[in-house]
Amino acid sequence: MPKHQKGKGKGVSRRSFFKTTGVAAGAAALGGFHFTRTAQASKPLKLGCPLPLTGPYGTEALDQKAGAQLAVDQINAKGGVLGRKVELVVRDTKLKADEASRRAKELIESVGVELMTGCLSASNQLAVNEQCKLAGIPYMSISQANEITERGDASVYTWHEALNPHQTTQAVGGWVGKNFGKRWYFLTSDYAFGWQLTDGLRRAGKAYGIMDVGETKHPLGTSDFSSYFPRIMAAKPDVLFLDNFGKDQLNSVKQATSFGMKKKMQLICPVLLASARLGAGTKAYEGVKGGTSFYWQQDIPTAQAFTKAFWDKNGRPPIDYAGYAYGGVLELLGGVNRAGKLAALPLAKALEGRKYDNYKGPQWWRPCDHQSQQDVFILESKPPKKKYDVFKIIDTVSGANEALMRTCVEVGAVKGKPMRVGLKK
Amino acid sequence: MQTQQAEVGAGAPGGAWDRVVDLVSRYPVTVITIFFIIFPFVVPYKALATQIIIWGLFALGYNVCLGYTGMLSFGHAAYFGVGAYTLGIVLIRLWENLWFGLACATFMGAFTALILGFMCIKRKGIYFALLTLAFAQLLYFLAFQWVDLTGGDNGLRHIPAVPLPLPGFTVDIQDPLRFYFLVLFFVVLALMLLQRVLQSPFGRVLEAVRENDPRARSCGYETTNVRWMAFIISGAISGLAGGLYALYLHFVGIETLYWVTSGQILMITLLGGMGSFIGPFIGAGVFLFLEDVLSAITDNWMIFLGTIFILCVLFFPEGIWGSVMKLVNRSAGKKG
Repeated sequence: MPKHQKGKGKGVSRRSFFKTTGVAAGAAALGGFHFTRTAQASKPLKLGCPLPLTGPYGTEALDQKAGAQLAVDQINAKGGVLGRKVELVVRDTKLKADEASRRAKELIESVGVELMTGCLSASNQLAVNEQCKLAGIPYMSISQANEITERGDASVYTWHEALNPHQTTQAVGGWVGKNFGKRWYFLTSDYAFGWQLTDGLRRAGKAYGIMDVGETKHPLGTSDFSSYFPRIMAAKPDVLFLDNFGKDQLNSVKQATSFGMKKKMQLICPVLLASARLGAGTKAYEGVKGGTSFYWQQDIPTAQAFTKAFWDKNGRPPIDYAGYAYGGVLELLGGVNRAGKLAALPLAKALEGRKYDNYKGPQWWRPCDHQSQQDVFILESKPPKKKYDVFKIIDTVSGANEALMRTCVEVGAVKGKPMRVGLKK
Repeated sequence: MQTQQAEVGAGAPGGAWDRVVDLVSRYPVTVITIFFIIFPFVVPYKALATQIIIWGLFALGYNVCLGYTGMLSFGHAAYFGVGAYTLGIVLIRLWENLWFGLACATFMGAFTALILGFMCIKRKGIYFALLTLAFAQLLYFLAFQWVDLTGGDNGLRHIPAVPLPLPGFTVDIQDPLRFYFLVLFFVVLALMLLQRVLQSPFGRVLEAVRENDPRARSCGYETTNVRWMAFIISGAISGLAGGLYALYLHFVGIETLYWVTSGQILMITLLGGMGSFIGPFIGAGVFLFLEDVLSAITDNWMIFLGTIFILCVLFFPEGIWGSVMKLVNRSAGKKG
């Protein structure tokens, strides 16, 4: 140890410290680069999928994951995309937008995904969409949001397979306006999705001369709704809309039932969830009506095929959000196959204006904003004859001829012109 | 504390480990800088490295409050969030200039701390914690409702990807590694300034206030103003960290202002160890790395992270870095 003793003065020991760390850093850097290079040699096509697996929408997110996985498996069984196997890479967003953003960034930068899907809730989708636009990666959004197809957020990379709150409320609102009383009350989940449902319903109700008798907003993730009910009862509405989602819907329906609200008014869930219905039970949801994009007992060949494949794999029928994921991923991967190469512009040309039927009947990609046109189904909860047999389809609201959609001008696009905003050279 | 360690290090013969510790405590800024230059090449991916140093910077700012002055603030999400939103709004609406945006973020962080500090600083302990929490939540709901300016619940989007203007040319910072070194530049800058401040007489007064407020007052120091000043410095650093975070994600989520962020930064600081430069960075590294690894393995990652945190608080109340230092000091003491 003579060197050390000599160098007790700061200079040498500091220098030797630098030397050691420098060598270590060099080795680590070289090792890291070597690793990435080998990883790229035999690479499957990675499809990123951030989902809120933990949090109030966890149940629905799991179904989305299963739906996306099924689509990936089916595509792989047919030879993959452009000869490459597809790999679904799922991440948990915890239902937080900045977490979704971070996860998307990680998927793009470190996992190296070349396509993106996933997300539940508007804020998460918009955050992921922002990352995809920056990196130039096509993103298939599979949950409801109005903004994602509007000017500012929409881009040549952005696709929206799900219904949006506008389509949902125009269908459900119109149907309720025709069939029920005129005094409407709204129990709104206090964030963009809930607000948009309520606004859309008010707009749809105008044509039927409805009376808005009140609105109560509750925070996302509320467990006790009982304090809201006396005020709602006092307003004497004919119809109570539950403009919420996931566990919030489950809890509010359950508690409204035990409060005896159903005797006084009709409960409507604009987005009626099979998952919440199964969680809350027959009695709680008895007589509750609402809209959906998909129900597994639909008498449509593609719906039956999808349900069978999903059931065989997961031991349960798919819910509507599994359908979004399944249909969206099929479109995205199929589109790349038809385009012949993995790039945004050929993909856009392969999808825009395309009529397709993946799992629920006819759909159509509107070129001006990349929104999928589709039908909305009206359901009523019923006592099951067998397991999972929880709804009856009582009506179908056709989405044909852009009937339920906002016009291209309303979303800030140009009618008839394909969406080309944000294209990177 | 620092002089004490230097004496111990010089007195004891010690092994290689002691020498490293000695260096770290004598030149914390240099050592941190060198470590973080190597850092992005050893972590799983560069975005994680960036995230760790941004949160480390935030924890460093928080530590000025908690570790050096002994004020338990439960509302630091406010300064972080204000910094993030300021950067975004400035870049979108005012001027697409990165330096200007970050300067505004830092200034607004400090300014918010100045205003909120004015209203909270005279209270102590639990009252101070709850007041800061209340004001932070106030800002959260303001941002939540003011959709036109902040994007509300959907978050602030469309932050332009601006290049870094330097005299004569511009640098594109979309590359993860370049962006990392830009952040590191600000971290080192903040560290150097903070070291200067803490080694000044003012820094000594901060410690005096933390250890014994009435005694510091009886020595003739206006302790309320001293604490207020520390709070403002803390707010400025948090605002800078927030601005960098917004720049990093090109997005500001409403969660940035939520109380959970305040809780997280407290956890990070406690985990790493209060009252040192290195502790907050270690805390941020461990916290984010665990979160990243655990949430990839299990959906119930929070249970594990929570358990680890509780164990740390129970058995290593000085945090990871504090415990390491204690251990080293003890062994050095034995040898000496």
